[in-house]
Amino acid sequence: MNTKELTELIMRIADSEGVSGDETATAELCRDELLKYTDDVQIKNGNVIANFGKRRKNKPHVLLDAHLDRVGLIVTSITEDGFVKADCIGGLDRRIFPAQRVVIHGAEDVCGVICTLPPHLKKDSSVMDKDSIYIDPILRRGAVREKISMGDLISFDSPCTELLNGRICGAGLDDRCGIATIIKAVSDLGGQYDTLPFSFTVLFSTQEEVGERGACIGAFDIDPDISIAVDVSFALCGGEKPSKCGELSKGCMIGTAPSLDRELSRWIIKRAKEKDIPYQVEVMNGMTGTNADRFSVNKCGSRAVTLSIPLRYMHTPAEVIDVADCELTAELITDFLKAGDNR
Amino acid sequence: MSVKVNKELLRDLLKKLCELDGASGQENNIIKFIFDTIGDKCRCRVTPLGCVIAEYKGENRAASKLMISAHMDEVGLIVTGINADGTLNINCIGGVEADAVIGRQVRLENGIMGSVGSCAVHNMTEEQRKTAPKFDSLYIDIGAKDREDAEKYVSLGDYAYFTCGYAARDGVIRSKAIDDRAGCAIMLAMILENALPYDCTFAFETQEEIGLRGARTAAFDIEPDFALVLEATTAADVPLSEGDKRCCILGEGPVVSYMDRSTIYDRELYKLSIQLAKDIGVRRQTKTVVAGGNDSGAIHISRGGVRTCAVSVPCRYLHTPCCMINEEDYFDSYALSAAMAEEILSGRV
Repeated sequence: MNTKELTELIMRIADSEGVSGDETATAELCRDELLKYTDDVQIKNGNVIANFGKRRKNKPHVLLDAHLDRVGLIVTSITEDGFVKADCIGGLDRRIFPAQRVVIHGAEDVCGVICTLPPHLKKDSSVMDKDSIYIDPILRRGAVREKISMGDLISFDSPCTELLNGRICGAGLDDRCGIATIIKAVSDLGGQYDTLPFSFTVLFSTQEEVGERGACIGAFDIDPDISIAVDVSFALCGGEKPSKCGELSKGCMIGTAPSLDRELSRWIIKRAKEKDIPYQVEVMNGMTGTNADRFSVNKCGSRAVTLSIPLRYMHTPAEVIDVADCELTAELITDFLKAGDNR
Repeated sequence: MSVKVNKELLRDLLKKLCELDGASGQENNIIKFIFDTIGDKCRCRVTPLGCVIAEYKGENRAASKLMISAHMDEVGLIVTGINADGTLNINCIGGVEADAVIGRQVRLENGIMGSVGSCAVHNMTEEQRKTAPKFDSLYIDIGAKDREDAEKYVSLGDYAYFTCGYAARDGVIRSKAIDDRAGCAIMLAMILENALPYDCTFAFETQEEIGLRGARTAAFDIEPDFALVLEATTAADVPLSEGDKRCCILGEGPVVSYMDRSTIYDRELYKLSIQLAKDIGVRRQTKTVVAGGNDSGAIHISRGGVRTCAVSVPCRYLHTPCCMINEEDYFDSYALSAAMAEEILSGRV
C-alpha cells in the first residue's frame, strides 16, 4: 500500500461517523477493507475481528488492535423551541464548542451548530458549562422531534483535508489512523500468513473513549499471548510540555510503562534500531490510557505493548497527523510479525 | 401591494457569495463576482477603497437620490507571525471571538489548509479548561516543518478564512459570511430583477468590519439624499438567553432598528417601514436592545447628512463560521427593502 493509498484510506475511515456507542458505519467500512486480505472476518458485539494464519499450540498468538470509535456528543433532551441538548462522549475540550459544526445522527443525518451567545451577552471569559451544551439543528422546528431522538449520537463535522508535507487534519483521526496503519501492515505482509512465526488477530474495538470496553470483551474471546495496541499519543505543539509528548514526523512512539511488557517494548526498540526504522520512546509511569490496559489483564494476562502514532490537538475537530508516522508504525508491526519474538 | 420575490435567484446568489473569501481589505473576489453578475446591467466603477458603485438606470428618474448599501467584507484572520516550528500566529480581522476559531480548520488565502489546534484537553489544568482562549495563544498549523518551510507558502499579512460550511434545509441556512453577503445578494437580485422602476445607486462597500470605512468614502462620493443599508444583525434567540436579551428572533421578519450604537435612524423612514411591511404583507421586527452598528453610522453623517434606514436579516452566531438565518426573513428583507426603496425614489417621502 503506497502513501497515496494509505492517505486516502485514513481519510475515508476517519470521516466515517462511529462515535462511541454506535461504531457500525466505521466497523462495516473496516470489515470490507479486511475482506480483501482474509475471509475470516466478523463483526461481533460491534467489534471487528479478523483472523490471520492458523492458530497452533506452539505458536504465540498476537492481537493487533486499534479502536473504531471517536469522541462526540449524545442527545439528552430536546427543548420546546427545538434546540437539542447534548452531553459529551469521551474527554472533550468545551473551549472549542462555540459555533462548532456538528452532525446529529438521527433518523437521518442533520447538520447543526453548537449554540453560543454573542459577545455582549457572555458573562465573562469562562467556558460553556457542562450542562449548557445546546445544538441548533438545521431543521424546521416542527421536524426536530421527528428526526432527532434522545440518545442519538453527534459527531463533529470536520472532514479530513491534506496539509503540507503529507500531514492530514480532521476530526476523526484518533484512532482511525491506527486502524488504517494496521490494514496497511496486513496488506504489506502480502499473504502467506501461515508462514509467519505468529498467528494473529486484528481487533478493531468499540468504546475506547469511554473506558476501553470493546477491547475488554474482544480480548476475552481472542485470548492472545501478545497484544499490541495501536493508538495515537500526544505530539508536541504550542501549549504542550515536551516532557509529555512525542514529536510529529519522528516515527512511531513505542510505549514503555510498568503496565506494559518491558521485554516486548525493548525487543521492538531493538528491531527498530537494527532495521534503521525511525522511532520514539513514550514513557508512561503506570497505566497507558489505551486498550493495552485491558489486554495486559485479559484472562490470565497477556504481554502488551503500545505503538502510538503522534497526533497534535487530540480530541478536537482539527487533529493533525503525519502519514509518514503511520507508515513507520506499520513497518514496525510487519517487522515484528515476520521476525518473531526472539529475545 | 406586493413585491415579487425570485427566491431561487436569492438562494443561488447567497450561496455563491458566501462561498467566496473576502475579509476586510481583500474584497477582490466579491468585486469580481459583482462585475460578472451585473456588469452589463449597470454602470459600475470601483472607488479608491475598493467599493463598487453601480448606477442602475430605471424606467423613471428618481425624485430623490437614494444609495442602497451593503458591505462585501466578512470577518477573518490575519497572519501576524511565523514561529520557529512553522506555525503561524494570527489575529482577528473584525470582531471574531477566539473561541469561534479554536479547534477548527481554516483556509489560507492561497488555498492551503490549516488547523487551529489546541493543547490536548488531557494535558490541561482545571483552570486552563475553564478559561476561554485568547488570540495570543492561537496559531495555525499548516503542516510546515519549520519557519523556513512555512515561509515558502505564507507571508506576514496573509489572510485566513473559515471554511464555508454552507448547509440549507427546511428554510434554515447556515454558512460563513452571511454578514453581509445577504445584503449584497439582495442588491444584486434587485438589479437583475429590475425591481425598481427608478434610477438608483447601489454601493457595495469594503472594510465595514473594521470600522465602516468603505461606506464613509462611498457616501461622500455618491452624495445621496437617502440611504438604505442592507445588513445581517445579531439574533440571540438561543437557550441561555431570554426576553429582550435575545435582540431579535429568527422567523419574525427583517429587523428595522430605531437606534443602535452607531446611528439614531431617521424617524420617518422607521415608521414608514412599519407601514410598508403591513402593506406588502411581510413580518418585521425591531431589536430589543440598543447594540451593534453598521455602515449607517458612517453614511448618515456623510457631508451634510443623509436620511438613513437599515433593513437587516436576523442572524444567529454572527461573526462565527456558522452564521444561521431563516430563509423567509431573507426573502422578506428583499421585499421590504424594495418597497422602501421605491417609496423613497418616487418622492413620496
